Amino acid sequence: MTRHAPNVLVVDDEQQIRRFLRAGFQLENCTVHEAATAADGLRLATLKPVDLLIVDLALPDMDGSEVVERFRAWSKAPIIVLSVRAQEEEKVRLLELGADDYVVKPFGMAELLARARAALRRHAAGLPGEPVVRAGPLTIDLAARSVTLDGRPVALSPKEYRLLQALAKHAGNVVTHSYLLREVWGRSHTEDAHYIRILMRKLRKKIEADATQPRILVTELGVGYRLAVDGE
Amino acid sequence: MTAALQGLGRAVADQWRTPAGRAAFEGHPLSSIAIALALVAAMTGCLSIGTQLVSLRHLSTAYLIPVVIAAATLGVVPATVAAIASVCATAFFFYPPLLNFQVSDPQQLLDLALFLIVAIVTGHLAARVRAHARLAQDREQEMEALYRFSRRLSEATDARELHATIQDHLSELTGCKVMYLEDAAAATGLPLAVRSAVAAFAAAQERASGVSVQDEQTSETWLICAAFPEAPRSVLAVNLGQVAASTQARVQHRIDAALADARATLDRLGVMRVIGDAKLREQMETLRAALIGSVSHGLRTPLASIVGSASILAEAAPIRSETQLAALTAIVRDEAERLDRDIQRLLDASRISSTGVRPNMTWADPADIVNAAAANQRRRLQGRALTVQVADELPLAYVDPVLIEQALCQMIDNATKYSPAGSPIRIAAREHEGRTEIAVADDGAGLTEEDRSRMFDRFYRGPHSSGTTGSGLGLWIAKAFVTACGGSVEAYSAGPGRGSRVSIILPAPGADTPATGEDLDD
Repeated sequence: MTRHAPNVLVVDDEQQIRRFLRAGFQLENCTVHEAATAADGLRLATLKPVDLLIVDLALPDMDGSEVVERFRAWSKAPIIVLSVRAQEEEKVRLLELGADDYVVKPFGMAELLARARAALRRHAAGLPGEPVVRAGPLTIDLAARSVTLDGRPVALSPKEYRLLQALAKHAGNVVTHSYLLREVWGRSHTEDAHYIRILMRKLRKKIEADATQPRILVTELGVGYRLAVDGE
Repeated sequence: MTAALQGLGRAVADQWRTPAGRAAFEGHPLSSIAIALALVAAMTGCLSIGTQLVSLRHLSTAYLIPVVIAAATLGVVPATVAAIASVCATAFFFYPPLLNFQVSDPQQLLDLALFLIVAIVTGHLAARVRAHARLAQDREQEMEALYRFSRRLSEATDARELHATIQDHLSELTGCKVMYLEDAAAATGLPLAVRSAVAAFAAAQERASGVSVQDEQTSETWLICAAFPEAPRSVLAVNLGQVAASTQARVQHRIDAALADARATLDRLGVMRVIGDAKLREQMETLRAALIGSVSHGLRTPLASIVGSASILAEAAPIRSETQLAALTAIVRDEAERLDRDIQRLLDASRISSTGVRPNMTWADPADIVNAAAANQRRRLQGRALTVQVADELPLAYVDPVLIEQALCQMIDNATKYSPAGSPIRIAAREHEGRTEIAVADDGAGLTEEDRSRMFDRFYRGPHSSGTTGSGLGLWIAKAFVTACGGSVEAYSAGPGRGSRVSIILPAPGADTPATGEDLDD
């Protein structure tokens, strides 16, 4: 997965879910620790090295958001939340609290691993992400502030670039609308969801082969956007 | 002058219509005698003016007016007082010697005696008519109140509404504010002294018929008594207001009588049964919520394990090399996912019919909604062409994008079920008369007129549905989700065997549509 075998901590009250997650992560050469409750999980997190936290949103003893908040208080390791459908507001809240991504139950292991890889890669490179991000024909050089499509430079307005930059910094993971609004327009516009929709249309027209069916700048309905990176 | 007297009489009669007004009179019999005397005095005034203008011989007859008014509105005692006062006034003011109660003329003496008899008899008759009228009026009001009460009882849908109805009825009946408390815990919001009295009363083993307690701050007196024998923990708290200690016992007695009456009425109307029903409904709702909770957790969690495990198996080398095993693993995953969707559909249906849909409205790009639905369904549609066509520059729509996407998924799912395997499914989003239309078209069996008019109904399954599994909920859920966002659904077919097209019409963007111009960029 990455240079060294990452330590994954799985916190879920369902034993069968923990078992398949353990199998899935072990196939990827990860070391897996398990906890059935939030309290156990948080205690284990202080005892073992944790490179990735997988946490269920509905734990019997603690609210998912509280687990995220407490873990984030002392660890920068990526957090991926396991949620169910129709909890978009809750997902957004957890992402704002510091979770890196989420998957909706039921999910395939490949989907979770793709999210996990993206989060681990970003964390290993140290914030704010890798200097060069590739997504299909698109290359974003964050250090040089240059964007190329199939090797040809793409001219972006400053706001379009800031939007792409915010997504590239979290390449492969979801980024919430309000985070993007803050990054691009600053604090005053966090309620103006339509700004981001319109700017995203413009950006897609410059980058996507078919702007109405984007492959690179993917929408996560009700939550935000994701920059889809290669091979995942 | 007579008109003025009639007006006064009417005003007094009006007072009788309200229980409080009636209580005021019954509480002070002296005041009705005072009114009777005032009526006589007024008549005396009129007559003294009259005698100055014309000479009146048998003016005692005129005093029948105040006597009858007093009888009709105040009762027999004030009427008798009025009759005697009239005799005295006639003797004193009008029969010589004037300003003296002596009457010198024997004919006038006879006149007065006759007047007194006639006045008392008339007064008695009038008072009886009044009593009858009052009884009839009371009964009418009572019936009216009962009718209103029983209608409200039958309309009450939960215990809280029921309690409010009982409270209002008792308040109207007693003329005081009555609170129905299900148990001592329901007394929150009442003054502290009343709360502790209610708690003590509810906890007492041997109950008195009622206790009274005074709230120190407002110096209001409250009466606490048992509500219904069927609900042993229930208590009635009656605010008697600021009553003097001397009249408290009497007011309390009247309220007791009214409450006893009310209890009999409530019993007759089967209130306890209604209360029981409301409780049952509440319990069923709790049970339903618990069931949904356990269904979504107890059934979907194992499915999540199955899907996850199957996805790992499918990637394992020994299975990947065996085509048949790989196909079986895919079936495990696909079927588990299908079951999960079916459960989701049941949960959605239950949510729609119980709590309703609460859309999370925001500005959304229709293209994003279409792409999300297509991505969601594409994995299941292997071997079938799913074409997506989204018009350029569709206006943004103010909707809950997640709900619309789910509605669209139901429509795609439906199209997949009711069209031949391998035939294409087409999704198209375009602007139509100022609104965005997202249509799902298939080459399936098409729609009959009946299908068209009923396909969005709950549990409707068309004549072609015999070979497929389905609940008849999908399109009904889709419609509920779309209408919750202010949109509408439509169905079109060129006829049976010629395919069908169902579409979502998003709400028209209003006047406050955000600009799509260049001003947003630097």
